[in-house]
Parts: sequence; C-alpha cells; structure tokens
Amino acid sequence: MAVYKKITKDNLVQFLQELTKDRILIAPVREHELVSFSPVADAGKVDFTFQNSFVPPKSWFFPQTEQIFSFRIEDGKYELSAPSLPGGTVLFGVHPCDLKSILALDPVFDGKFDDNYYCTRRKNTIIIGLGCQSVGRNCFCFKVGGGPLESNGADIFLTPTGGDFLAEGVTNQGTDLINKHSRFFSDSSAEQVDKEKREGTDRLLKQSTGLKGDFNLPKVKAFLDANYEIPYWEDLSYRCLGCGICTYLCPTCHCFDINDYARSGLEGERIRCWDSCQFKDFTLMAGGHNPRPSKKERVRNRFMHKFKYHEDRYNIFGCVGCGRCVQKCPVNIDPRKIILDLQEVAGND
Amino acid sequence: MKGIEEQIRATSSQLLAAGDVQLVIGYGAGSDNSKTMPVFIKRAEDVGKLVFNPLCVSNLANYLLHWNNFEGKIAIVVKGCDSRSIIRLLQDKQIEREKIVVLGVNCPGQLKSGQAEAKIPVEAVLSEATVDNGGIKLQTSGGLITFSLEEGLLEKCRQCESSRPVVSDYLFGEKGFEADKAALQFNDVAALEGAPLEEKSRYWDKYFERCLRCYACRNSCPACSCRECVFDMVEPDWVAKTVNLSDNTAFHMIRAFHVAGRCTDCGECERVCPAEIPLRILNRKIIKDIKELFGAPMPGSDLEALPALSFYAVNDPESQN
Repeated sequence: MAVYKKITKDNLVQFLQELTKDRILIAPVREHELVSFSPVADAGKVDFTFQNSFVPPKSWFFPQTEQIFSFRIEDGKYELSAPSLPGGTVLFGVHPCDLKSILALDPVFDGKFDDNYYCTRRKNTIIIGLGCQSVGRNCFCFKVGGGPLESNGADIFLTPTGGDFLAEGVTNQGTDLINKHSRFFSDSSAEQVDKEKREGTDRLLKQSTGLKGDFNLPKVKAFLDANYEIPYWEDLSYRCLGCGICTYLCPTCHCFDINDYARSGLEGERIRCWDSCQFKDFTLMAGGHNPRPSKKERVRNRFMHKFKYHEDRYNIFGCVGCGRCVQKCPVNIDPRKIILDLQEVAGND
Repeated sequence: MKGIEEQIRATSSQLLAAGDVQLVIGYGAGSDNSKTMPVFIKRAEDVGKLVFNPLCVSNLANYLLHWNNFEGKIAIVVKGCDSRSIIRLLQDKQIEREKIVVLGVNCPGQLKSGQAEAKIPVEAVLSEATVDNGGIKLQTSGGLITFSLEEGLLEKCRQCESSRPVVSDYLFGEKGFEADKAALQFNDVAALEGAPLEEKSRYWDKYFERCLRCYACRNSCPACSCRECVFDMVEPDWVAKTVNLSDNTAFHMIRAFHVAGRCTDCGECERVCPAEIPLRILNRKIIKDIKELFGAPMPGSDLEALPALSFYAVNDPESQN
C-alpha cells in the first residue's frame, strides 16, 4: 500500500537521526568540496541540496575494495573466514538517476548467480530517494528514459517543495517505515504528490541548460546491433587517455578484479576491487593475447555495453544520464554527443 | 586570439597538403562550449576543426607517446608549459625530432575550467578571446563574458616560467602572459613545508583517502612512458590494488619520486584528477628541492640540460671525497 505524506526539513533531519538508532545511515555529506555517500552519525551533517555525488551510491552495495574472505594455513589445513557484512542500513538521498542505476545493477548481481556480498547489502538496505532541486548542465536523465522526480528504485521517495518535502512510500518496506515513524510526517495525497512531481518535472526540465538534441535510443541500439566495425570508434578513441574515471564514476559500471594478498604466505585475504574495461590489461590473458588490443576496441566496448549489451541482457539501458563522466572526462568524451553522432551516422545509412 | 587560431589552421593546412606531416594534434571545440577537446586532423580540409582560445588547458604532448609507432610526421600544438614536455620526450628518446613539427603558441593564459563552466553557456559559441591585465574577455554568441585574472586565470599560468615555447618550428601569437616574478617563488610549496608534520599528514591524508586509483594522473602524464607500469603489475604486487589510504599514499609517493627531476610541472595530473587532489604541490615540492640542491632549471626548459637525477657529473662535489 502506497502512502503519501509531507515532512518538513527539520522533521526529516530528526527522522533520519531516529533511524540511526537501529540502522547504519549512509547519506550525502560534503567534505573538502566533494559530496560523498558516507556513514553519518549526526543527521544534521547531511547535505540535502547537492547536485551530484562524486562517487555514485553503487559503492555502498559494491564497494571499490571488498574482502571476499580471509584465509589461514596451519598444520597443512586451510581455514577460511567470511567477512561480516553490514546489517540494517538506510541509504538516504539517492537521486533518480542513481536509483535507476541500482535497478540496472540488480540483475547483474542478483540474477542467474547470486552475489552474496551485493545481495546481502541490498536486502539489508532501505533506500530513501531524493528528487532533484535543479538539473545540472551535464544531467541528461530525462533523455534516457528517466526524470528528475522519478521514484523507481526507491523504498521511500522525497519530492522537494521549497524547503520541505512530499514523501511517498513506494514499496511496502518504505510505507511501513513511514507508518512506524508517522509522528514526523503530516498528511498529503496521491493527487498532491502527482501534481507536484508533474509540475516540478516541467519546471526543472525548462531550466535545463545542457546539450540540446533529442535522443532516439532504439534507433541507436538498432544501429549498434547491425554495425560493429565503424570508423567512428577509432576516431573517438584517439583522444581517450585510457584512464578509469568514466567507469569508476559510472553508477552502472560493475567490473571487478580479484586478487589474493598473503604477505606472510600463511595468512591473507582475497579481495575484489573495481576494474575498468578502459585499462589496457583488462582483457589481457595469461597467454599474452589481448582481444581488445587498442583504445578503439576498449572505447567501443564501453559504449556498446551502455547502449546495447546491457539492454540485450537485462532489458535496461546501461546509461542513466547522471552526467558524471561528462563532467569528469579530461578529454571531453561525452556520451550525449556520441548518441547524437551515432544517430547521425545511422541516419545516413 | 583569433589570429593564433587562423595561423594554426593555415600552417596545418599547408603542412598536411604538402605532405610534410600526416597528422596534426591540436585543440577542437568541445561538446560543451566551456570546453575544448584534443583533435587529430589527418586531412587539410579538416583544419577548420582546430581552435585556439583560453579553454585549451590540456597538454597534448602525452599523445606523442600514443602515436610513437606512427610512420608519418606529426605536427603538435603546444603552449609554453607544454613545450617543456617535448624537450623531455626528446631527451628520453621517446620521440624523434625530425618526426615532429612543433606548432608553438605564445600563450596568453588559460581559464580555470570551473569558472568556464560556471559562466559560459553550453550553446555560446566563442568568436574572440583576449587575455590582458584587464582580465579574460570572451566574445560569444551569447554576449561578452568576462573574468578578472584573479578569478579566472589558472594557478599554473600565474606561476608560468615561460609562456613562450622553449622549442618550436612555428611560433604563433605576439606576446604571451607574463607572470609576476613574486609568483615564481614556490610560495604554495613553502606554505605547506612550514606546517607541522601532523598538519601536513592530515592535509595529504584527506586527499589520498579519496583517490580512486583511476590512474588518470599517470595516463595523462608526458613523463609516464614505461611500457609496463609498476602499478599494473600483479606479480610481484609492488603496490596492492586495494584502494585505501595506505596503498593510495604509496601510489602517489612512488609516482612523485618516479617522475622526480623529469616532471615539468605541466599540471596535467592535477587538471585531470577527478578527486581534485592538489598533485602539483607534491611535484613542485620535488622540483623546488632539486632546484635548491642541484641548481637545476625547470626540467624540460633546456634541451642540453639533462635532468639532475639522470646524469653523473665528474666534477660533482660528492665525487671528490
């Protein structure tokens, strides 16, 4: 049962503080000019007005460095111990693009094979989504099927209205949490929330200062389905530096590498760390063969993954339009421009 | 600056048409008008894509390493700061002088990216730009946009040793930016050097803690030319892949010492860092020390002056003992 409420900013801070009594609170905080999702003890420190976090909140479910197990060898016997994973958590302040990215990651880690580490964190976490108060110049969620006030993926979704918020219980878990703490909320209605989201979206999109041009993702997908070798990828790859910024800041990128560290030889740990398909040794095989030997193959792979492979596998695009790679790519490899370029190339066929 | 842009286009066109070069590496308009991007021009009819303005902040010299197996000759656009990288790559024999045509620009100064993004609308096409003591003025299709030097000029421009390229085959632009002599004194480094140890440790910890190990600093660095980088090695695992304060600190310290005496302070590492780590301070500390200890000039400023840590002098005072 969905529930529709209002909550003032002050009450929201108190509500979050109340939640820290029996849950870990992971929320956006500003430290040295960058906003990151971090464990928060004092809800007063939460940043409610940020545009975009530096690292996406995927890092809560899929940390950059994570122990898989630790091991010890004694008298010829192996002893393995599993790490303890975090219990009940509230992940607060996730913007709609990042909410959607979690929906794009779920089928990867919780599909044919369950990834215990991701799934445990995911199961133990209630997500409170936060609608956007502005659309940045690099934002393009609304061009890839999302919107600045879309609640998909949240358990509770907050729509900012001036200084206060409208609150929806999107899932049963979210509704239960609102009901349990109903003293922080006042009444609203489905109609009011709907109206505010509709009007708010119109207002936000009108303020958008980003790159103009309409996207036709099915057309791009159909073109990529039929065309693997096109000169465009090589031209694009010339300026790529082969660093990991785009993949590490991408809320849907999920590649990792596994290493064992055992300095003493008798005890150590198995670790997984984020890896990037833009690194030249990402696909390097033991025998020395590299199926993606140059930047062309690597850059192509990234965009094929976002706009074709992810959709092929999971029926959801791998790009949610958060704009982090647009903002941070040092050489202006801009997926918005790539989509527009591919549409043009496809149109000329 | 329109004049510089036109000269770059005309010269590139001539060089390509005559077959004197097969590739021009320069700056082109970005997807967003507050940015430029590196462009790679192979045909004379495409030289219209080349631009030059105060948004040409990146150093293109690193791309010569990407193209070092290219059979043809390459023309490359460099500012004063970038030109030191060319000297360094020549000294390390990473590039051959006769295969490179240096299109040097007397650089008028470059604009901070954050300021550019804050003030230049995405669609505002730049038509003319000037930089002088009155500030940075951009004439755009969206009107005149101005920045005071204080707010707009890049820190590295403020500390510029030579806006005139130290090596060039063609030189464009009348007169580059002249930094205030006082700004050349490594005051930024001295300020941190003087702080108590704990404070310095806290200063770096807060930045290294958030390093993503994306290796953008390494990949953009013209001094990084190793075929296999120590940070990519798995066996032996000199530095673990784990991302934490300890391994991140090891990464940055090893990198800083590895480029010691070779870093030309082009500032690419700091520019590209997504975590906004002030990497120039780290590199400039070492440049300052080497300057004070060995009287060495800024690396890359003189083709004949080899890096202080890369050669042995028979009259070295220490060899007299």
